[in-house]
Amino acid sequence: MSESNPWAEQWFNAQQQFVDAWSDMAKSGVPGNSSQSDLWAQSFDLWRKASGAQVQPDFQQAMDKCMDMGKGYFAMAEQVSKSMNAGAEPAEAINQWMDQLKQSLQQFGSMPGFDGSAVNGFMKQWFNPTSSWQQMTAGLMPMNQGAWQMPGMNTPSFNLGEMIDPFGTMLEAPGVGYFREPQAKQQKGLQLALEYNQANQAFNQAFLQVATESIRDFQARIMKMDAETAPKSLRELYDLWVDTSEEHYAKFAMSEEYQELYGDMVNRLMIMKKHYSEIADDTLRAMNLPNTREVDTMQERLQQLRRDNFALKKEISEIKSMLQQVMAGPAATDAAAPAPRAADVSAAPAAAPAARKAPRKSATRPAVASKTAAKPVVKTAAAKKAATKAAAPKAAPKKKTVVTKASKGA
Amino acid sequence: MSNFQFRADQLVDEMVQFNQNLSKGVKNLLEADEISSGVTPREEIYTEDKLTLYRYQPSTGVVQNRIPTLIVYALVNRPYMMDIQENRSTIRGLLDSGQDVYLIDWGYPDRADKYLTLDDYINGYIDRCVDVMRERHGVDKINILGICQGGVFSLCYSTLHPDKVKNLVTMVTPVDCKTPGNMLSHWVQKMDIDAIVDAMGNLPGEMLNWTFLNLKPFQLMGQKYVSMVDIIAEEKNVKNFMRMEKWIFDSPDQAGEAFRQFIKDIFQQNKLVEGGLKIGKHPVDLADLHVPILNIFAEQDHLVPPAASKAMRKLVGSKDYTELSFPGGHIGIYVSGKAQATVTPAIAEWLNKRT
Repeated sequence: MSESNPWAEQWFNAQQQFVDAWSDMAKSGVPGNSSQSDLWAQSFDLWRKASGAQVQPDFQQAMDKCMDMGKGYFAMAEQVSKSMNAGAEPAEAINQWMDQLKQSLQQFGSMPGFDGSAVNGFMKQWFNPTSSWQQMTAGLMPMNQGAWQMPGMNTPSFNLGEMIDPFGTMLEAPGVGYFREPQAKQQKGLQLALEYNQANQAFNQAFLQVATESIRDFQARIMKMDAETAPKSLRELYDLWVDTSEEHYAKFAMSEEYQELYGDMVNRLMIMKKHYSEIADDTLRAMNLPNTREVDTMQERLQQLRRDNFALKKEISEIKSMLQQVMAGPAATDAAAPAPRAADVSAAPAAAPAARKAPRKSATRPAVASKTAAKPVVKTAAAKKAATKAAAPKAAPKKKTVVTKASKGA
Repeated sequence: MSNFQFRADQLVDEMVQFNQNLSKGVKNLLEADEISSGVTPREEIYTEDKLTLYRYQPSTGVVQNRIPTLIVYALVNRPYMMDIQENRSTIRGLLDSGQDVYLIDWGYPDRADKYLTLDDYINGYIDRCVDVMRERHGVDKINILGICQGGVFSLCYSTLHPDKVKNLVTMVTPVDCKTPGNMLSHWVQKMDIDAIVDAMGNLPGEMLNWTFLNLKPFQLMGQKYVSMVDIIAEEKNVKNFMRMEKWIFDSPDQAGEAFRQFIKDIFQQNKLVEGGLKIGKHPVDLADLHVPILNIFAEQDHLVPPAASKAMRKLVGSKDYTELSFPGGHIGIYVSGKAQATVTPAIAEWLNKRT
């Protein structure tokens, strides 16, 4: 740990005060005016901005995640405790909370553009896959991510296709004249963007469906539990929710439906991206600037040159080795035997570099590897037979398959 | 109505405790020093492009295995997982058992590496590293320890270069990618890999991260961070937790052409099982692989299910094949205390017996 950070102390004290105040209020059963979990998270954000507190770059993301998930967890506790303070039994309180979540999901289900990124509180955890997809692809999109975050997208009437082409004719209209080709490319780009958007929506909507089923199942499990099996703490309740969600998700993720939806979403994104890269290439070419296609061609040629270069180096080494043997005369060639092996190289690491430079006397030894040794085994019938014979001498042991458990010691 | 036992005030107390832990955890994070990547001393032996071949400083006072071991790690994620912290280091364990350990660090490929193929990786990079080691140690053959995707590379390499490999150890290595329950493989079956590589050039590490996290999204993107609050409330746990966290998100981009072939041939067409795999111009048939093999898999591996690894047994030509089953997950097999106590010594013992 580094020296005590004054901002860290400040954070710690402020949080202690906040938690004490929250605890008193929650225990007294007085409902707050707004979500305490929101206030809690906001207090952290405000404090961090005001303090300019620095954290190691490696830690930043983890801390943000921790705060985010902490906020969701806090929201869960708040919902359940509110119902319980209002006189509900624990199971009933959980049930009420789940009903609220289901209502939210039904609302989301009526929004074609819903992607989970605008969800806050506890349910945010359910939409990590879809919202993190939006975040991750933001950097891959040919247009700014803001292009997808349009006003009204979280409403039932949202329709991106109608927004772009209200009469359904613009993308079909044939281009004419000198700009016919660029126009056609732009039209195709918009068409591909719409297709990706539809695939993305289909994926998100299927996800919503699974979320609803998962909550329904969670409710059913809660209602069936007795004193022995029911969660005995908030953490146990949360863990049960995670397990239930993970089960439903895994079933969905292993389905043919998921394979189709996910594949379609990824493929359409890539087709769109490639198309817009080609448009960008055309623009760069018109400006007499190098474009992706040209750089790719150069890279491919360069890579092939490097391969050729390594192959040539190997051949030169091999020729040198042969020359050394010839120059040393027939006696040396006859006497050439595998060089003595270092018994303990690690004990004499200083000797290693010298050994590297030492001329090879053995044609069978590596470094300046012989052509046959350096070449991968080519599977001709004769070669295979020879290799099998060499690798399986008469004295070879029978195939030994030992299955052992590491836990029991191996 | 079910019979729940917890009360409202108890729930409030639990949240108070949670918040106190979170406050302490954030304070600890703010005060934490930078974390290291890998802990065991090592020296650079050979570099080429973005690749570095390292040799770890051998342990003193132990009988050395005269055959050095090369660790071939996957292209996804970074190899310091093998050496994550002092008391959780597979590499340290191998050194302490007398192994002379080398490791290929692939670095971070960028657009200039887009045209690297599996042939370049296997018959190029790996082969040259192996030659460097053979020359340094004056031996014809070395031991290879392949990890996950690096295990597939090692299988191919050992099949194509049997004259250079003494023993092969594979860990959590996918061989049969069409076994039931393989979620990762299930997802890629309908993906147009050509479209992806043509559009992206290299595959961004962020996409891989998204994929891995979404195999278990509620655990890996939610529950983990709620549990983290309890862990980092203890000052001594912060660095260890954050080392793992750093590693998880430290995902290099994948060289486009190598990614294209790996996903199409190994995952979509399952060529290690179905046949027809070629590395460059050279066919790879695991039946031609005759070196002694130790195949280690993890029973709760959600990335490479045990069945995907165990398929190796029926495919290889080796007469000396051993399986080791570890009761843990894909990561736990390197970093858990149990793995340090059982898996690493088992690898060392197996290698020592065959030297």
